[in-house]
Amino acid sequence: MNMAWLPLAALSVSLFAAIAIFSLPETARPARTVINLAAAACKVALVVLMVWRVSQGFEDTFSFQIIGGIDFVLRADALGVMFAGLSSILWLCTTVYAIGYLEGAANRKRFFGFFSLCVTSTLGIALAGNLFTFLIFYEMLTLSTYPLVAHAGTPKALAAGRVYLRYTLSAGVVLLLGVVLLYSLTGDQSFASEQGLDRYLSDHRGLLTFIFALLVGGLAVKAAIVPLHGWLPRAMVAPAPVSALLHAVAVVKAGAFGILRIIYDLYGIELSVELGVTTWLAAMAAFTILYGSLRAMAQAELKPRLAFSTISQVSYIVLGACVVGPFGTIGALAHLLHQGLMKVTLFFCAGSYAEELGIHRIDEMNGAGRRMPLTSIAFTLSALGMVGLPPTAGFITKWYLGIGAIEARMLWVVAVLVLSSVLNALYFLPIIYRLWFCQGPAHGVGEWPSEQRLGRFETHGWLLWPAVFTTTVGLLAGLLAGLPFSPLDWATRVAVGEYLP
Amino acid sequence: MTALLLAALLWPLCVALYVVRQMFRPPEARRFFSLGWLSAAWPALLLAFIGEGAWEWQAWLLGGQWALDTLARAWLGFTALLWSLAALHARGYFKREAARARLGDDGESGKLLRFTLFWPLTFLGNAFLILSRDVASFYLGFALMTFAAYALVLHEQSGAAKRGAHAYIVLAVIGEALILGGLLWAAGSGEMTTLEGVREAIAAAPQGVWMALLLWLGFGVKAGVIGLHVWLPLAHPVAPAPASAVLSGAMIKAGLLGWLALLPLGVEGLAPAFSTLGEVMLVAGFAAAFGAAFYGVGQRHPKAVLAYSSISQMGMMTALVAVGLLDATLWPALLPGIALFAGHHALAKGALFLGTSVSEHMPRLPTALLWIVLALPALSLTGAFGAGVISKYSVKHVLEEGAHHHIVLLLTWAAVGTTALVSVCLWRQWQDRDTGDSDAWQLAGWALAILAALTVPWWLPLPQESVHVPALKSLKSLVWPLPAGVALVVIGVVLARALSAPTLPAGDLWWPYQKGAGWLVALCKGVAQRSKRVKRSSVARALVLERRAMARLNQALEGERWLRRHGSGLMMALAVVLALLLIWEGSQ
Repeated sequence: MNMAWLPLAALSVSLFAAIAIFSLPETARPARTVINLAAAACKVALVVLMVWRVSQGFEDTFSFQIIGGIDFVLRADALGVMFAGLSSILWLCTTVYAIGYLEGAANRKRFFGFFSLCVTSTLGIALAGNLFTFLIFYEMLTLSTYPLVAHAGTPKALAAGRVYLRYTLSAGVVLLLGVVLLYSLTGDQSFASEQGLDRYLSDHRGLLTFIFALLVGGLAVKAAIVPLHGWLPRAMVAPAPVSALLHAVAVVKAGAFGILRIIYDLYGIELSVELGVTTWLAAMAAFTILYGSLRAMAQAELKPRLAFSTISQVSYIVLGACVVGPFGTIGALAHLLHQGLMKVTLFFCAGSYAEELGIHRIDEMNGAGRRMPLTSIAFTLSALGMVGLPPTAGFITKWYLGIGAIEARMLWVVAVLVLSSVLNALYFLPIIYRLWFCQGPAHGVGEWPSEQRLGRFETHGWLLWPAVFTTTVGLLAGLLAGLPFSPLDWATRVAVGEYLP
Repeated sequence: MTALLLAALLWPLCVALYVVRQMFRPPEARRFFSLGWLSAAWPALLLAFIGEGAWEWQAWLLGGQWALDTLARAWLGFTALLWSLAALHARGYFKREAARARLGDDGESGKLLRFTLFWPLTFLGNAFLILSRDVASFYLGFALMTFAAYALVLHEQSGAAKRGAHAYIVLAVIGEALILGGLLWAAGSGEMTTLEGVREAIAAAPQGVWMALLLWLGFGVKAGVIGLHVWLPLAHPVAPAPASAVLSGAMIKAGLLGWLALLPLGVEGLAPAFSTLGEVMLVAGFAAAFGAAFYGVGQRHPKAVLAYSSISQMGMMTALVAVGLLDATLWPALLPGIALFAGHHALAKGALFLGTSVSEHMPRLPTALLWIVLALPALSLTGAFGAGVISKYSVKHVLEEGAHHHIVLLLTWAAVGTTALVSVCLWRQWQDRDTGDSDAWQLAGWALAILAALTVPWWLPLPQESVHVPALKSLKSLVWPLPAGVALVVIGVVLARALSAPTLPAGDLWWPYQKGAGWLVALCKGVAQRSKRVKRSSVARALVLERRAMARLNQALEGERWLRRHGSGLMMALAVVLALLLIWEGSQ
């Protein structure tokens, strides 16, 4: 039984939310809040239903023909549902956070409208059943995030938005070129083509490699692979919830997810290995991992440091996809979820520090653990997860990536992972040291840059609880990784599907 | 009985939560070092003596397995006992601080809260790794212990404490990285997640010796392998005495346990490369045993001297572990001896570290009696008294049977170094002595530790055949290092006075390492600066190119506009030309 309405409903919930928000006046704050939260909750419920359907072995597909030979397809397969699950849960958290964060700020209607559109496009990317649909939502994501990046309207924000558009739009053109070339070669643009691209291998080897380079090159801009990462640190001027969403699910992850789709579903692992493209991509990812960490170390401000950390961490996913073998795949897929949970927490915390205490620079964080204990615990646990220490989720992915690399006889990948752990420790442990072990304004030494008492707790409850929730989920994802429906379990399910058809 | 195993692991966590609750009380109402806090290690202690049990939980990390085998029982026995006694001691040690905190000293209160919070957490890590049978849990316990102990080392927050803690954490991160690399490599090549499975994988893998090397060095950071030992003499003097006691007694033994659990010791038919590794370990072990003794006697701080003594003792244990790679047949007989050796050292060294705080607050006892008691664990450590005799003999006896006479000889000579170190320590304590303000808890913890250290073989739940009581005639070889060491120290002190030799800075190799790291960072910064300049200039050049290209495009557009404006005229002209052409053709 095909429940075709299910992927469509999951997609349109946030689309309707966006339309409703745009049609409401700016002052209708309670109504907007209700719509936002109801849509987010509704979406989580629908995605849970989809997860259950996929676990039962169904693959709900919605499709209609646009013009001859070109279809619009939404398909709830295991990989897509995984990304959809991440985005819907984190959307709920981020919406709650954003409502608290933008309390009293201007242009909230515009913000939440585009915010919903952004999530719509992310979900569309997750559920896209062919390259054409993927491309539509991918471009829609680019356009719907621009107003969010430039939200503040300051010259710096506008400049960042311009840089963002330059990077992503030109990447979109490259991607489009790749898609068109592929279509002209095969006349088919579905991901899961039964025939596969193997039959073109003997005649069009060079062309296939070129198309791969175009597709992955186009996606690599959003995935922030060095040297195409320049827009990401600049986009840090966006409000904290946007940064959180950008880094954890929406833009950066969309790029990484696209690369996974290309390698696993479009080309297939065997063909990618046969073409020799995975080695190159792995080398680029490894370079990005180390380069991102090194640059992160040099940052004196919190958000840019987290941004470079994202550049480094997202490449784990790409690296895992290039490490051939089930364990590498599990590591890559699990990291898609784990990194999302951890990074969203880090950005929530960074935003809370900035709102409550006015902290932007790392050397202003002395003793903040005493003033904001729950936020700081959340930050500490997520940072340790980034380093890859057990029992956090980061350890699980690092473990699987490492095992996968050994199985694929890529010992240098293990060296990169270990080195990256050390570098992560080098730039996260000093922050943790400052939070908990340094004397600061909370101990009567100096003053916070601009302290506000936003709420009954250490900060506004709407800012605090999302961070606490995502930390808890992230910790449990590592601690109880063996439970059914844990991120690791779902990643294993997807990987088994890839390797044992 | 599984309930007791769970209780042993969960109780420290409950204690930590209890401390967290204290944070929400007003400073005057906070209770530090209460009975509940002291009991953090008691369920584990009970488990070691009467408990049984194994537990599996698939949902945990990569699949959790915990069990209490014979080695784990011995380890847990001395570890939990030392933690319990050090906790008793801590209650007295921090008496003044606790009183100040109760009077509303906010800073003191915060420091004590942190200490009492991280104490049970560090113990939890220590007990957890001992009971773990799967790699992920073991690594979790090790990491928890390592990182939580940072707070214990940093406690005083003085400049020296910050430096000590810095050295500790830097080396700890390096160690964790090496362990992670080794574990990933070994577990990946064997596709196993149990400790036993990983050990077999290392033994069977073609590159097993490199995995073993990584793990040896990784755990060697804790166990003070020479070259990686630099944190010990920097961290121990600055940590509070109870923290030093568990650091040197229990936690560095976790490194040793890591070796025992993961290196393919006593496995027949290993690749020849493992023997080479064994030889390297042997040399490194004795280099540490003697080098630390030579350097340690020149220290000023009694706890720094004891730290060097720990390095020296762990060097001996490294050498003993190396025998497991060199002579597989001897290993089953040697392993129980090593457990006894480790247990004895843990408690004796713990008692010595606790003694350093006793000599600073001497109780009203006859001076001679007090100093004799202070010297008892030192005597035992040299192998000339009490349990030390048996623990030394138990390993030497096995080595003699295996005809490793040179190792026995070196161990005996190393005992001279041990004697020299503990004599210097006692001498330095004598110089720093002070009376008054002693506390019953402080004394009780210390005295019980001495009692436990002197009687280790009789109460520790050791594996079978670990205790060998020496015959009278072999006593001589065990006892002679004592007078020899003392004599050497006396000569050395006289000589040093005569030559007015300076004391050596603690941390020996740390300082050159620091300098080297400084150079490396400067080099990286230089490279980064230069590449930044290159990048900036290339961006500038690209912008110039872009501007030029845009200018060309604009020119072209200008041209187009001109064409458009004059389109009709041009058309007309074209038509005229065409007409003329036609006319010309017609006239032909």
